[in-house]
Amino acid sequence: MFANKRQYTKAFAAAVLIGLACIAGGATVLGDKWFEDVTRRAGVANKHTNRAFKNPYAHIMAGYTALGASAAVADYDGDGFEDVFVTDSMEGGKNHLYHNNGNFTFTDVAEQAGVANGNDAHNASSDSLWFDYNNDGRPDLLVVRFGQNQLFENLGGGKFREVTRQAGLIGYKNAITAIAFDYDHDGYVDLFVGSYFQPVNVFQPETPRFFPESFETANNGGGITVYHNNGNGTFTDVTEKIGFKLSGWTLDLGHGDANNDGWDDLYIACDFGTDRFFVNNGDGTFTDRTEKAIGFDTKKGMNADWGDYDNDGFLDIYVTNITDDYMREGNFLWHNNGNLTFTDVARENGVHDTGWGWGGKFFDYDNDGWLDLYVVNGWVSAGKESYVPDIFTMVTKPGIDFADARNWPPMGNKSLSGYQKKRLFHNEHGTGFKDEAARHGVDSVKDGRGIAVADFDNDGRMDLFIANANSEPYLYRNTQTTGNHWVQFLLEGTKSNRGAVGAQVRVTAGGRTLLSFVNGGNGFGAQSTSRVHFGLGASSIIERVEIRWPSGLKQVLEKLSADHIYKIQEGKAKTELLVARR
Amino acid sequence: MKRILIGTGLCVLVALGAMPDLSKLEAALSADPDNIRYGSEYRQAVIQTKEYDRSLKFFEKLVADHPTSGNAYLNYGFAYVDKIPVAGSITQVILANTALSHFSKSIELQPSWIGYYTRGNSYLYWPKIFNRAHLGVEDLEQCMKLQKADKPRSYHVRAYIALGDGYWKMDDTPRAKGIWQEGAKIYPNNAQLKARLSKDGDELKTYIDDVLDPNKRVDTDLHEIWEAQ
Repeated sequence: MFANKRQYTKAFAAAVLIGLACIAGGATVLGDKWFEDVTRRAGVANKHTNRAFKNPYAHIMAGYTALGASAAVADYDGDGFEDVFVTDSMEGGKNHLYHNNGNFTFTDVAEQAGVANGNDAHNASSDSLWFDYNNDGRPDLLVVRFGQNQLFENLGGGKFREVTRQAGLIGYKNAITAIAFDYDHDGYVDLFVGSYFQPVNVFQPETPRFFPESFETANNGGGITVYHNNGNGTFTDVTEKIGFKLSGWTLDLGHGDANNDGWDDLYIACDFGTDRFFVNNGDGTFTDRTEKAIGFDTKKGMNADWGDYDNDGFLDIYVTNITDDYMREGNFLWHNNGNLTFTDVARENGVHDTGWGWGGKFFDYDNDGWLDLYVVNGWVSAGKESYVPDIFTMVTKPGIDFADARNWPPMGNKSLSGYQKKRLFHNEHGTGFKDEAARHGVDSVKDGRGIAVADFDNDGRMDLFIANANSEPYLYRNTQTTGNHWVQFLLEGTKSNRGAVGAQVRVTAGGRTLLSFVNGGNGFGAQSTSRVHFGLGASSIIERVEIRWPSGLKQVLEKLSADHIYKIQEGKAKTELLVARR
Repeated sequence: MKRILIGTGLCVLVALGAMPDLSKLEAALSADPDNIRYGSEYRQAVIQTKEYDRSLKFFEKLVADHPTSGNAYLNYGFAYVDKIPVAGSITQVILANTALSHFSKSIELQPSWIGYYTRGNSYLYWPKIFNRAHLGVEDLEQCMKLQKADKPRSYHVRAYIALGDGYWKMDDTPRAKGIWQEGAKIYPNNAQLKARLSKDGDELKTYIDDVLDPNKRVDTDLHEIWEAQ
């Protein structure tokens, strides 16, 4: 087998090294837990409470509106530490603006900031979004609501003022998600709002016919609304003008540049029916490419996150659906074929079954340069009795009108896909994913909704803020000990929108090139950091950074040291390091 | 080449890729609605052409015109089963439920081994939460009685497999293994029995869950029935 002694010696040495590595690796795998639950210690344990309705359909609606727990990350005061806005949904419940004190504790400053009051008899908070709509460098805040959305202008100094009416965003919606990106490259981010119910007053409905007309092809939902940013503090509804006329039960929106043409495309995840994929034509309009790109599905899309999980230079998409004993839909991991078509590879990669899925986020928790995936799940975790037989008794009634809320059985204290364990999928270097949630203590059984990923202590390790329905959130501090290198970029547009939303960053280090981008709020029920983070593995030097700004400018930087947070301004050759102020 | 039989034993050779003429098959079946073979071959042709809704309409009319034909109802139920893999998850439930009602009608009109086996096996595809496995076991036990009173036939092995699956779904694994073992004595080379008997615990669960996955097409070709006569 071995041609000579030298070859044998080499092979033996290699075998010993592999053996030692396995032992060391084994010890690490068995012993280490890399996320610490610091929720209470950090001061962010305020409970979310679902909205209780007071109308003739309240006993039915309670089961179908266990939504509204969300978390959105931004450094709203520019002190170098990421803060987080968290919604409640109960009538009179206060939303929370957790200011990061820089030591992994937070102070709720929502009241003094003027952004706490998002829940009253006519409005229930369901999501939130930070976006710098006026390019003043301060992230502004949209509170997404069943009812009327609220836009708060960030005035600086920790103060906000509501400008919804002035901005032209008044309008009844049962909104559940919002993202912002500059679809037409005019230098201002535009607003995309997804709504669940059609615009009926769900608090006092005038008709009982406002529930989904079908479980698989419902088209009586709220659809999406696109507001063009006029650049003067106002917005114009351009939904139909730019190619959208949808009435699905939207749950999430995700933008990303599917074909690397410089224009961000849009994935729309819909409950009770077909997800949609729209291509940005680059002329201020979009084209529905659903059939060619992903086909028509009948599933229950909940989440749309974009990330290049296989490091092939194209952004892929992760969509959660429902997978349970009674409904085996399976999630989608849409592998980007590079030609505006996608192939679902969820099953072969081991990420198809996450129960009743909600938020799913790509992030690299061990900084090895491969995007991992965290997924939260569970609809209603209540009593021991299951609601499944009730719902299927209704479903199998001949000629039943699903749109009529009166036909839906009340859930009472029954559970539906409850007490499901969360999943933390480690990316096994592009060969598939392995669930490490239990090992790292992030496999709770609360009804998870949103996942906000951010580096709250600027140590290069990505932490997690999890919004749970009707429950306390989780703040998980990442304490991983791999020693892997990392880098983060905080981008500022000059010609492009100031928040640089849509900017793509390609980092070359250790002989490989990784792709990420500044996203404007992708992922259900949460907004993650707008910094672009890369795990670099063993590479301590970044050979090349290429930034493709939304303006079209390509900016290249070379020979950067790892383990820093760089601030980069569009077109400016010099980089700065982020200086955080406690 | 795929062989499709129609009419009075007329053998039509359909080149691979060419679509069968459903009209001819429908005419043959209309003339002989209780012919289990024609019904089965028609449905296999429908699967090939993906004309599921046409098939459902055809059978709806067939049973209306021949309300006492047990095999017409049996094939009508199968027509719903044939559509399940191409349907959404909720529609799958509706189709499966409707199929069950037609299988029941078939048994009511014409109790038979195939009727009990079909309905019993169908119950096993329902998730545990619906508590239908015991109904499946009742049917499959009846099926077992019928086959024990009959001369041995190759398709009888299916009842051993399904009844064991039913016991397993009712959390009685020893009883499941017992009936599979009984079957294996008669059909020692049956791969499905061997597979079940070689597995335990999670491995067995994964195997049976996979077998009873509603997203996978169930083989509803009934050729074994007439070939074993």
